[in-house]
Amino acid sequence: MTIKTRNTIASVIFLLFGGFMFYASLGVKTVMSNDVGSGYVPRFIAVLIILTAAGKLALTLLDKNPNSRKKETSKSDSLGGFGTIGLMLLYMLAFNSVGFILSTVCYLFAQMMLLSDNTNRRPILFAILSIVVPVAVYALFVYGISMPLPVGIFGF
Amino acid sequence: MIMQAFTAIFTPVCLGLIIFGTILGIVFGSIPGLSATMAVVLFLPITFGMEPTNGISLLVGLYMGGISGGLISAILLKIPGTPSSISTVFDGAPMAERGEAGRALGVGILFSFIGSIFGILALWFISPLLAKVTLLFSAADYFSVAVFALTIIASLSGKDMLSGLLSGLLGIALAMVGMAPIDAATRFNFGNYQLLSGFDITVLLIGVFAVTDIIMVGFGRRNLSKKAEKKPYQLKGYGLSMKEFIQQIPNVIRSSVIGVGIGILPGIGGSTAGLLSYTAAKNSSKYPEKFGTGIIDGIIASESSNNAVIGGSLVPLLCMGIPGNTVTAVFLGGLTIHGISPGPLIFTKSGNIVYGIYLALIVSSVVMLVFERLGLPLFVKLLDIPKHILLPIIMVLCCVGAYSSNNRAFDVYCVLGFGILGLVLKKLKIPSTPLIIGFILGSMFEENLRQALQASHGSWSIFVTRPISLCFLLVAVISCALTVRKNLKDKKTAALAGASFHTEEEEG
Repeated sequence: MTIKTRNTIASVIFLLFGGFMFYASLGVKTVMSNDVGSGYVPRFIAVLIILTAAGKLALTLLDKNPNSRKKETSKSDSLGGFGTIGLMLLYMLAFNSVGFILSTVCYLFAQMMLLSDNTNRRPILFAILSIVVPVAVYALFVYGISMPLPVGIFGF
Repeated sequence: MIMQAFTAIFTPVCLGLIIFGTILGIVFGSIPGLSATMAVVLFLPITFGMEPTNGISLLVGLYMGGISGGLISAILLKIPGTPSSISTVFDGAPMAERGEAGRALGVGILFSFIGSIFGILALWFISPLLAKVTLLFSAADYFSVAVFALTIIASLSGKDMLSGLLSGLLGIALAMVGMAPIDAATRFNFGNYQLLSGFDITVLLIGVFAVTDIIMVGFGRRNLSKKAEKKPYQLKGYGLSMKEFIQQIPNVIRSSVIGVGIGILPGIGGSTAGLLSYTAAKNSSKYPEKFGTGIIDGIIASESSNNAVIGGSLVPLLCMGIPGNTVTAVFLGGLTIHGISPGPLIFTKSGNIVYGIYLALIVSSVVMLVFERLGLPLFVKLLDIPKHILLPIIMVLCCVGAYSSNNRAFDVYCVLGFGILGLVLKKLKIPSTPLIIGFILGSMFEENLRQALQASHGSWSIFVTRPISLCFLLVAVISCALTVRKNLKDKKTAALAGASFHTEEEEG
């Protein structure tokens, strides 16, 4: 992606967000008669977002610097990144329903396997840590500082 | 009040928490990829159930340890553990190359301590004076202070001011979800009752900082197995003689003053303080050509300055409720949760807590001086912990922290949402620090704007007719103008040099 494309995308996203915020704030009712109302500041901020994003878009489009059209090279690993997001999503969905310990055991093992490569992948160590860590955290929070964690369908 | 604070801090539990927090902070600071912010964010929910003094003391220890721990990896791995230690690498790494890593570490630890004490003394003496001045502030003045803080942070947290402003405005927008101040009207909850109380600051911080960082590591997982070469070290005492210590006194005073000044200004941060002090030390040195070749002057300038920032950054936080950086933003959350309202009246309403913070900072500095030196072999060993094991465990702690903040799974989902938001911002090169500051200042901004407009019957002239308000607005405008000018100049220079111009930011 070029710098120009990146800045254009950022400006458009914020323009759309500002527009949406302005529209959503129109429905906020004014309760007190001598007050500007709870919708006033959101509308004010939405207008500021729109103006700033429009300014950024204009500057980006008017930018004649040839370097802003050069592609930025990045060696990102999509499988690692999106895989991490996917595992986090599954973990968070399972966190409450399946319970803290079981969901954490599965997440930790899967995430360690995903982040490691052939040179440092040690499934047995990962499995041991994946069991020990959630049990220790659970014990610390539930019994140590009396802060409950989700027990889930299996009761732990 | 000082005696009350003294008896609250010098209890076995509180001292134990300060020691634990400082040591753990050093661990977080020393491991590249972890930060002081992450340490404070992760432990904030654990403090909820504690006595205010105990909870705040733990956070103080984590902050102090987190900032000073960065020098270990800066010297031994040539990678600053925290952004604050960037300038420590300049002379620390060449010293390590020459086999003087131990001396560099010892000097760094000792002058981190001296810088911290300098910052704490500045905090102790400046805060009450500033608090007296802020008693004169009206709603209009506070609104202008919020505008000033936001524009300064937006201008200084990245090279592209518009991106910083957009990030700050997005933060204010996120703060508007839920019930409005003054009339409690519901906004932007889209029928979801979980959103009635708005987003929790802890959840936002965990998401935008910790979770985003872990996702970013996922995208760069191929680099995880690459290990940086670790230099061996030997150290006796703190690695310098009394004569050398006396010679360095002007350097440490100058650097600490810069650190305190930078800390008081919102949004600039420890790395800028370190770099500025390093440059100042170099410019005033009799042997500037030796800087960067491995001399203790550079390490002393960097470390005393970045630790003095700690005390400085707490001045606007305690007196006006304005966090200068991400760590103090979390601190503000911690204070609020424990029922302490930062502002001009904090010294009369919660004086014992304020003095407790001062004492906790002093104790934490001493703990850092002793334990960082004694535990050096252990902290060096911790640099070997593989990231592919450590980061998933931190992710689990993030979820536990988010869940514990309100005992609801909704906050855990929000953590991932904010993590993805942080990722999008990173990919678009939009700094995330103004987002956090905007979120925190959002309610102050709105409440004071509405109160001021109520008082002036809707007239905006109140913001320019009150001298204090006008001053802050003028400084905000001047800062914006200077940043725009600098941006244009940098763009021109980058264009001439054939390089690309992009934003950078500092986080804890």
